[in-house]
Amino acid sequence: MWKIVQCAVQGRGHMQMGIPCQDKTYSLVKNGVTAIALADGAGSARLSHFGAERVTEYICDDLSENFDRYFHEEDGVPVKKALISKSILALDELSRKLNCEIRELASTLLVVAVKDERFILFHIGDGVIGYCKKGELKVASQPENGEFVNTTVFTTSQEALTTMKLIKGKVGDIRGFVLMSDGTEASLYDKKEKRLADVIKKIMNLCQLVLPRKVEEQLRTSFEVAVRQATSDDCSMILMVEDREPFRGYAKLAPAEKARLLKLPAYARPRRLRRYDAILSGLENGRTLKNISKIIRLNPKYTKKYLNRLMGMNFIERRGIKYYTIVIMDTQ
Amino acid sequence: MDNNLLRIEDLVNNPTPRVPVCLCLDISGSMGAVEGDCVETGETVYEDGETWNIVTGGTSRISELEAGVEAFYKEIREDEMTLYSAEICIVTFGDKAECLADFANIERQQELPRLCPSGDTAMGEGVNLALDLLERRKQEYRDKGVDYYQPWLILMTDGQPNGDEGELARAISRTVDMVNNKKLTVFPIGIGGQADMGVLNEFSPKRSALKLKGLKFREFFVWLSQSLSRTSMSMPGEVIKLDLEGIKGWGEL
Repeated sequence: MWKIVQCAVQGRGHMQMGIPCQDKTYSLVKNGVTAIALADGAGSARLSHFGAERVTEYICDDLSENFDRYFHEEDGVPVKKALISKSILALDELSRKLNCEIRELASTLLVVAVKDERFILFHIGDGVIGYCKKGELKVASQPENGEFVNTTVFTTSQEALTTMKLIKGKVGDIRGFVLMSDGTEASLYDKKEKRLADVIKKIMNLCQLVLPRKVEEQLRTSFEVAVRQATSDDCSMILMVEDREPFRGYAKLAPAEKARLLKLPAYARPRRLRRYDAILSGLENGRTLKNISKIIRLNPKYTKKYLNRLMGMNFIERRGIKYYTIVIMDTQ
Repeated sequence: MDNNLLRIEDLVNNPTPRVPVCLCLDISGSMGAVEGDCVETGETVYEDGETWNIVTGGTSRISELEAGVEAFYKEIREDEMTLYSAEICIVTFGDKAECLADFANIERQQELPRLCPSGDTAMGEGVNLALDLLERRKQEYRDKGVDYYQPWLILMTDGQPNGDEGELARAISRTVDMVNNKKLTVFPIGIGGQADMGVLNEFSPKRSALKLKGLKFREFFVWLSQSLSRTSMSMPGEVIKLDLEGIKGWGEL
């Protein structure tokens, strides 16, 4: 089973000009296929946010219907042609509905689809597709920009077929895939080294331990507070992470496993672990610092250190004056 | 640190995409020409293919150009996006072409070079040097993994080119090829009544050269920095259109 987390925020440039967020993400689980897609609408295309939305939905659905056929095709060219002509078909239908030119709906397109132990990924334009294999982040497909940063290839471009990247393979040791738009690239992809930021691994790990909804909330806050500040463009990202050994919940772990999860040193006293236990179970329904310091019988000043550490690991969160546990405590 | 998944220190610090801008400026003797209230001294001088009356008072083209360049830098400094993306280079041409300020972020260009009018109008040499410097800068961006926008070349003159004809032909051909291949945005600007608009038009295959109204350098450079600001915020696929209404304040099409 794959867990999916996604987020798209309007860029500062678009906020100033009153243009909607043109980055769109979409995911679909159907016919045994898990598909994720991301499209970044062309800056100059007036209705590209509609095009980006439509093309992500359509292509995920198409992959869920035709995954086996595409995968078994020896030659990639007919698959590329099929994927592009289907994208154009979807955009053509939409252009008639919106009474606009098809180029008004142009966007980039990044897609990953997985069925059983096999995957297909393809990429038109800029943005990055990455994956995590044996604990290492790798880049599967780099951005396709022209010479200049504000030029790229779109679904409706003539060069879409010749520049499109299409890769298929076995999932094997791959634990997660990530798609990001060029706005997110500015913060999470080292353009010189062509390397993804390590923090993506942290997000993938967190997807196992915390409900995806909670990860998404925190991801959105981070994008609004930090990622958006590095660019004027919209920023988006979508990840899928395989839940190969499902996390049974913190409460179900043995003390040694808990200590490992909390990254406690081997010499840490059992009392310290018991305090973490008490905090995490005590905060399931939310408590103030004062409350929780009473429960663990520790001065608020020192209790705060425990809470800050758990916040840093994203196992708890603060809403107003109360703290809440967000790490999964028990799956039953 | 509240409820943030990504801390600032987790993020990659990619350099801001750059917009390289080369100001290729005529500093031939004629740029010392004075307009406004002035008194003739009775002396004359032959320079840049013409005989000139020496005067006192008035405002010279070169001093207005300097003030315009200063206004350009000031406008850029006041725009957060452009400040970090624009890189300016100043090439001048009189008897010869010279680079007075190499490409750099304007925070590193605190002292603006003085422009001293003298000599002929080696325009071809000036444009060729500007294009060479642009090419070299783009290679440096590529080597360092810095993204960049299409470069800009601003060519300003008040007269007729009288440098090497071969150099002029080469400069025109290189500029036209780059513009046609979408590798360069060029702004040829004529100053005063004697600017050779025909030659300036040869540098600009896609739109006509513009003629500065009077000595409205400041208005031109303010307009230029605003256009630059829009470019530095543009996103893939976005076509930056020139604000033709804005041109009316300083130029004539």
